Amino acid sequence: MRVGQNPAKSIDSVPRPADVTVAVVTYIPFLSGYYAQSLDVLKVCLESIWENTGEAYDLLVFDNASCPEVRDYLNELQRQERIQYLVLSDKNVGKGGAWNFIFQAAPGEYIAYTDSDVRFYPGWLTDSLAVLEAYPEAGMVTARPMRTPEAFYTATLEWARSQPDASLENGQYIPWETYLQHVLSLGTSAEQAREWYESRSDWRLTRLGVQALVGAAHFQFTARKANLGQFLPFKMDRPMGQVRSLDEQINQARFLRLTTCEPLVTHMGNQVPDDTVTRAASVSSRANRLADVPFIRKPLLRLYDAIFRLYNQ
Amino acid sequence: MRTGKNPAKDGLPAYTPHRLGVALIVYIPFTEGYFENSLEILEYQLDSLRAATGEPFDLLVFDNGSCPRAVSALKELYDQRKIDWLILSAHNMGKAGAWNWIFSSMPNQLICYTDSDVLFRPGWLDASLQVLQAFPMAGMIGAQPNFYDVMAGEGKAHLALQGDHSYKFGDYWPKIDTIDEYCFGIGASEELAAQFYNTPLPAITERESGVQAVTGASHMQFLIPREVARQVVPLPSTKGLLRKETMSIDYKIDELGYLHLSTPDSYVFHMGNTVNERLREEVGRITGSLSPAAPIPERASAKPSTLQRALTWLAKHPRFNRLFLRLYNLLFRALYSEAMEK
Repeated sequence: MRVGQNPAKSIDSVPRPADVTVAVVTYIPFLSGYYAQSLDVLKVCLESIWENTGEAYDLLVFDNASCPEVRDYLNELQRQERIQYLVLSDKNVGKGGAWNFIFQAAPGEYIAYTDSDVRFYPGWLTDSLAVLEAYPEAGMVTARPMRTPEAFYTATLEWARSQPDASLENGQYIPWETYLQHVLSLGTSAEQAREWYESRSDWRLTRLGVQALVGAAHFQFTARKANLGQFLPFKMDRPMGQVRSLDEQINQARFLRLTTCEPLVTHMGNQVPDDTVTRAASVSSRANRLADVPFIRKPLLRLYDAIFRLYNQ
Repeated sequence: MRTGKNPAKDGLPAYTPHRLGVALIVYIPFTEGYFENSLEILEYQLDSLRAATGEPFDLLVFDNGSCPRAVSALKELYDQRKIDWLILSAHNMGKAGAWNWIFSSMPNQLICYTDSDVLFRPGWLDASLQVLQAFPMAGMIGAQPNFYDVMAGEGKAHLALQGDHSYKFGDYWPKIDTIDEYCFGIGASEELAAQFYNTPLPAITERESGVQAVTGASHMQFLIPREVARQVVPLPSTKGLLRKETMSIDYKIDELGYLHLSTPDSYVFHMGNTVNERLREEVGRITGSLSPAAPIPERASAKPSTLQRALTWLAKHPRFNRLFLRLYNLLFRALYSEAMEK
């Protein structure tokens, strides 16, 4: 039975959430192989958010069943109140499942979503919010200019052509170095990047003195929570690979997909970007050469994948 | 840069949530005084839930800014895989603020909300589902007859059933034991208790199935379908535990035309903040008789093959675990060393 009065009844006020919730999804099942540097990458990601976000925000981290080392790190940050909301999921509910959770529950009016392998630079949130303000029709704004498939921004182009107060220009607005940096971070070769760069151009919008490039990406974006809510729930039966539906749906719903003109975030991938971490010694070149032989490489990849599945269970 | 292919993109299945999700809010700001027994009570609650729930479920615990000791206890339960989703909030967001999280985000088709001081008895889910089936417009179903109408007669949704001959309105006299227990649970004064003993509860019966439900549901514990939960949020949240704010869920549910109902028998018990022998005995009966048959719910994903099970078993042994990880690391470097050296 209840004896005495619950002290919670005497709490006169609860903290008002910040207008922006910065939300990070982590999934690092173990610290080996593909994920060997992922904890260090996550540390760079979070440190860069703390250092380079000028506006008030709450930090939400959704951990999608990572290994104990990652959990311990996040728990410690939560204990230090550097993370305002920490969600620990015992099972990997997929990126879509994590989005379903975050996009509905995050208390901010704006959600600045990021994968856990993104590095932030000063002004990223200021500029993203400026674009959202100048373009209230925007569904998502990525803090880095990049080229994305045209099929995902047809609505943006149509809107721009019909707006008397917005100008639309076509040209090479993304510098080669900026383009190359991102494409290399995805594991593409410089030769391929050069070919892609020269075969395409960029669309630039100007409205109320605010410029933005056309295109956005789901690895990092800022959006109004109310807009994102329209696209929920996402399919969540696979850990990754289904999140492109957000890009498609935003375009189909006639929202704009935009980026800032300056590169204010970088994609780190699974490698720490500088020499802060000593890279593990490579296996011998003879073994490397063997691993490149197709009939050897295939079974090795299968074994590699089988061990991953073992740890993902 | 990204080196190698992210293995998570390789078509693996993600976790599929169970039909039922149970969510509870924990707020233990210190472990003395009013909260002296709170951790023990929480343990009884989780044990009883596991033993008395007839189907697998996902458990979400929302910690609303508890003290380090309580948070540490929750993390331990999470590490033991007794909690599926643990949300740690740096500050108390209020009960309504935590509800906003829970009702917005839980992916399960049916969500059971419960305070963190409620004992669950076998049959609570079946009885609640029976009510939901007989009354498809039920929005909140409590597993204990509702004695206190928080809306003070202002609820209107049930009026829609009054002209419907499928339903019969009438009085329901709860068992004396049920009233005794309710009064004990809330620490009711004699005067207040007398009202409960002398006043019948309003009830509705669905004629075809014969299922009877008491009108009204308590905030202490209730089942809410996900589609209803999504419609009631966001709730106003400015205070820790303000009745006006928690009541806004009742008004929203009623405005949407959903019913507040509860089971005629008592399947949950408000343990409050004290522990006695009677409680310990009942916990023992519930968990002792049922727990062997109700282990920690398994994942809902596809059943692993014999080989996978064998490998999983091997991987649990530190020696093999280290071996597998070394092999994995070696393979990664061999397969992707060229890209790493760029």
